[in-house]
Amino acid sequence: MKAKGKGEVKVITGNAAAAYGAMLCRPDVVASYPITPQTEVVEQLSRFHADGLLDAEMVEVEGENSAMNIVAAAAIAGGRVFTATSSWGLAFMYDAVLQASGFRAPVVMVNVNREMPGILAVSSGQQDMICTRDSGWIQIVVENCQEILDSVIMAYRLAEDFEIQLPVMVNYDGFYLSYLAEAVHIPDREDVDAFLAPLKEQPERTKLVPGEPLGCGTHGILEGFMELRYKHCAAMERAKKKFDEIDQQFGEFFGRSYGGQIEEYRMEDAEIVLLTSGSACGTAKAVVDRKREEGLKVGLVKLRMFRPFPREKLTQVLRGRRAIGVIDRSVCFGWNCGPIYMELRALTPEIGPVPLLSFIDGLANMDITVPHIERVIDTTWAAARGEPYQEVTWIPLEE
Amino acid sequence: MAERKKRLSKVFNYFCAEDPFAGGVAFCSGCPLELTLRFTAKVLGRDIVIVGTPSCSAPVLYGQNIGSWHKLAYYSCLMTGVASSATGITRYYRKIGKDITVVCFTGDGCAADVGFQPLSGAAERDEHFIYICYDNEGYMNTGIQRSSTTPFGSSTTTTPVGVARRGKETMAKNLPLIMAMHKPPYVATATLSHLEDFAKKLLKAKEKKNEGLAYIHVFSPCPTGWGVATDMTIEVCRMAVRTNFFPLWEAERGRFRLTHTVAQPRPITEYTKLIRKYRHLTPEELDRLQREVNENYALLRHLTQLGEQA
Repeated sequence: MKAKGKGEVKVITGNAAAAYGAMLCRPDVVASYPITPQTEVVEQLSRFHADGLLDAEMVEVEGENSAMNIVAAAAIAGGRVFTATSSWGLAFMYDAVLQASGFRAPVVMVNVNREMPGILAVSSGQQDMICTRDSGWIQIVVENCQEILDSVIMAYRLAEDFEIQLPVMVNYDGFYLSYLAEAVHIPDREDVDAFLAPLKEQPERTKLVPGEPLGCGTHGILEGFMELRYKHCAAMERAKKKFDEIDQQFGEFFGRSYGGQIEEYRMEDAEIVLLTSGSACGTAKAVVDRKREEGLKVGLVKLRMFRPFPREKLTQVLRGRRAIGVIDRSVCFGWNCGPIYMELRALTPEIGPVPLLSFIDGLANMDITVPHIERVIDTTWAAARGEPYQEVTWIPLEE
Repeated sequence: MAERKKRLSKVFNYFCAEDPFAGGVAFCSGCPLELTLRFTAKVLGRDIVIVGTPSCSAPVLYGQNIGSWHKLAYYSCLMTGVASSATGITRYYRKIGKDITVVCFTGDGCAADVGFQPLSGAAERDEHFIYICYDNEGYMNTGIQRSSTTPFGSSTTTTPVGVARRGKETMAKNLPLIMAMHKPPYVATATLSHLEDFAKKLLKAKEKKNEGLAYIHVFSPCPTGWGVATDMTIEVCRMAVRTNFFPLWEAERGRFRLTHTVAQPRPITEYTKLIRKYRHLTPEELDRLQREVNENYALLRHLTQLGEQA
């Protein structure tokens, strides 16, 4: 409880919160290319740099692909790095995104969620993040501006942990959070230094050093490749518990914690559960409160960690409930449902054969409204009572 | 018996380090890459980081699992990411206040085509590293496909010669000139027939990279892909210079200088006759290639004259 209350409170946007989070962690190299709705992150970091608040190598790159290659290589050389992108920018760096995780480069990146593919929708949606879910990155999704700042700081503890050494992508909904101004507590730099200090006590990670006969990126084939893949997967598994621990320590340090892999909201005696992620969780909490007042035993699970998927945690909190409704802000092509829903279905043997319902909402800036969420809860409750239900509902299209 | 005095080439004076490569390496017979790599490492010294890509040089530079062909620090990235990865490494070392030499070593497919954007960006931003492009005029590692530096008329596996088509129809992209137009501190062309010239340029690149990008374009015949006898590689290099097909020059911040002039350039046919990929060319097509060589050289002369006046 060392640092609680220190620092200052400012009304800033989600993008500015991301930039503050990065700046406070003192990255060595920052490379980022502007794209709506992320641009303000790049601008704000450049402003910090110009004002002498950020002592980093700032690379004003000519594209996202270069941004990712720069930060990944700088991380392998031994640096702390930061980049930010969104949607098509994430797609344009895709080869480098895959390489960064295969190289176990501890890159921290914010991805400001925006729709793709096709139909140039300059609007919110989590499809960009879903397009990289099998890239070997750790993926975190957050709910509000404060959580953006805090999660960027936590992301460094996770990415650079000697036991993990994986890139971390902090996702937040474009437009809804990127441009939303909220009161955000900005911790003191020294306190952030202290929070990150445990990394310095760990063994030094392998680094690329001139003159030393050490390479990064060999032709790993056959058993060599299998071994590296196995270790990568093992590190992903370790990341789950590690993230919980980091979140808990963050809470002890700064007085805010988010539950680690998942946040449980009014789950203690919940008979039905709403599962979702990102900015929709704020609205969902308000609706859950209202339904609770009406006597409905409903709880919310906010998915914070999408990769690795918190299967043990979800099993633990969802087993024994009567029905679960999932709201996805993206789709799972080829399954015709939401991606989080699809992943949840893989846990059916653990949580039992209760009704699971997929709701697709919020694509391309469609608001996930209070009536929408009420409808999700009512439908899920009806399914729990044994009424017939349809598996997948595209909410705005059925109104 | 009197000991015969053997005069060593002056080029030996430029060597500052032991050869970091294994005695035998996995290049094609007659490939100039082996000599280029050993030479570069001996001139630049051991205290470097090589950045490379999947390419002809990759089998030797990458190693396999924990096996390695050399003792250099090495970063392998994808073809799109050479100049940007080198940027990341140099920027980090600049941040911690350590002066290092990062050397990109890639083919023309990376430099001129798929990895061109980051290279152009790095030149514009004055990133502090050396970029060596070994130009073998195509994607040789994947099996001799055309790239944008493949010269007019060349037969490749994607520009084959048949009844409906006669090799590559367009001219080569003049990458060294394009790089020089970015006006970085240093751009040069080099090839293995002129080793001292090459060595001087490597050293100059090492010095100039402290101000920004130093780019060296190395003409590298591919015996396998071009149809050149394996003992003729260096001769092909020499003839490329003598015909002005590949003039040797350097440019500092856009100021050009020829480092080697050819008093009486040979006709292009003396070059093309050594190479099977041109053997289908008609006299008219060879004329067209000759005109391209003349035009490129005239432009270069003009640029060097501007450099002399400045």
